Amino acid sequence: MTDTRRLGPVIAFCLAALTMTYLSYVLPTLLPGDFVTAMYGGSQVPLTEEQESELRRHYEGDTGFGGYLKRLATLEWGYSYAFLKPVSALFFEALPWTLLLLGSANLLAMILGFVLGVEVAWRRGSRLEKGVVGGMTLLEGIPEICTGVILLVLFSYQWQWFPASGAETAYVTSGFFERCIDLGRHLALPLTTLILAYLPGNFLVTRNSMIMVMKAGYITTARAKGLPPRRIRYVHAARNALHVVVTRFGLRLAFMITGALVVERITAYPGLGTLLFDAIRARDLPVIQAVVLFSSLMILAIVSGLEIAYRFIDPRIRHAR
Amino acid sequence: MHAELSRRLRRDPFFLIGSGLALLFLTVSVLGPAWAPFDPWDISFSPLAPPSAEHLLGINDGGQDIFSELLYAIRNTFSFGLLSGVAALGLGVCIGVISGWIGGMVDAVLMRIADILLAIPAIMILILTAALFRPAPLSLALLLAALMWPTISKAIRAQTLTLKHSLSVKAAVQMGGGNFYIMGRHLLPEMFPLYLIGFAAKTRMAIFMEASLAFLGLFDPARKSLGLMISYALKYYYMEIWWHWLMPPIICLSLLIMSIAFVAISLEKMLDPRLREPVLEGTV
Repeated sequence: MTDTRRLGPVIAFCLAALTMTYLSYVLPTLLPGDFVTAMYGGSQVPLTEEQESELRRHYEGDTGFGGYLKRLATLEWGYSYAFLKPVSALFFEALPWTLLLLGSANLLAMILGFVLGVEVAWRRGSRLEKGVVGGMTLLEGIPEICTGVILLVLFSYQWQWFPASGAETAYVTSGFFERCIDLGRHLALPLTTLILAYLPGNFLVTRNSMIMVMKAGYITTARAKGLPPRRIRYVHAARNALHVVVTRFGLRLAFMITGALVVERITAYPGLGTLLFDAIRARDLPVIQAVVLFSSLMILAIVSGLEIAYRFIDPRIRHAR
Repeated sequence: MHAELSRRLRRDPFFLIGSGLALLFLTVSVLGPAWAPFDPWDISFSPLAPPSAEHLLGINDGGQDIFSELLYAIRNTFSFGLLSGVAALGLGVCIGVISGWIGGMVDAVLMRIADILLAIPAIMILILTAALFRPAPLSLALLLAALMWPTISKAIRAQTLTLKHSLSVKAAVQMGGGNFYIMGRHLLPEMFPLYLIGFAAKTRMAIFMEASLAFLGLFDPARKSLGLMISYALKYYYMEIWWHWLMPPIICLSLLIMSIAFVAISLEKMLDPRLREPVLEGTV
């Protein structure tokens, strides 16, 4: 019983991954005409006779879903005629930038939101609490598109503090330290945008679950024992509030990933979002297909990994019978 | 419970501002085409002209009146959100009540489907479908609704399971009430506040998705949308026209999403007794 309960969400994630893969296999075959015409017909890049016959050879031995899976696993994702590179090369060029941006944004927003949520919930009913909660509610209503554009106009056009596009200055050879500063300056705008977008959600969830936890009997006990308030706050209360924060993370991810795609485009950060945008403009379907499928699979892997890790950390679930 | 709720809602500033703004946008969406001074597809004006008495927000790079464009864009973006929200709510409530009331295999299958859909990032399926088939906005709104009903039905199902044991429902079963009679007369009306939360959350998500998809260029380029306006105007952000071309759609989109977020947050606060203001705690 415990085992099936522990594996329940993981099975859902596996089925979701399978569904996504199957959809990305089956949807293009529903297009009118044969596969090659369907995939490249609307493309803005004209194909030569030679390229077309090569593509046909590539897809001719189509052995159904099994063959598709095999091609995916061996990184044979096709060739992009809009960018003149293999699709897998494009994808893996863009991936590190997206991971850097999203990883740091999520980590910082998580830590900031959590600490702020715990501290503010502790000061329940004070003027500080009302102000911060009001401000965060306001911020929660501003979508990433808007924060991103406003920051871009202010900091890169009006005051010219940060570069408006790219991830690093091109054609500059410099030391390790200078390179880090350069990367940081390029990262600043998209990173701030994403943190501003993720922070309110993390904060509000932490605060709400802290308020519920703080009513529990063991908090009163801890106070009665005369433990230092900071110890009660983090060791007793916040540890239990963390559960809700992690659970909500998976639910909010669909929302968060949408914003990240858009924010990369605003500051032309060379990650998957910008690649996707360019591919959509050129109607380069193989690239769109690859970005959509593999970013979904990665999201699923990350969320299910978190889920499993959390299930092993939380003693209430580990010992549940 | 409902009367008490509406009294407390009327005292909450977030709810008042949110619903007021939402009503304003609704009016603009309905009356926008009548108010627009020009045809938003008319390209006969001088491109990139600054605002004047005739053209309140100036002219864009294609020679179109920005103010008329904005009115149509609000209408398209908001109606996409409302439609998707209504459809997701309908689907979510039906599936949730059926799943909770009937139980057994039906419940197990429906909830497994819900788990799978919860795990899949909706935007990815929308991007794939939009890029491959270029469907009408209406179909995309409905597809989005078909992807985002699970959170609503999970909440409705949980509530149905508690209501199942209430006296009124037990009495209705005793008197021989059929499944549909009990679901329609006893279960559905009881859960009214939950609909509002679900509807607000989904509408907000749909508006956000519409703006993002339009921004990424997945809709018909001739269809006015706040996301598309931002995308076009962003190309000229370094010129002195950003404040009357780029800013209006950004402010409108923020206010639109904010108004619905306010309503959702305020409703959630009111309906979750554990989050109520400490002052009220004694009376609960």
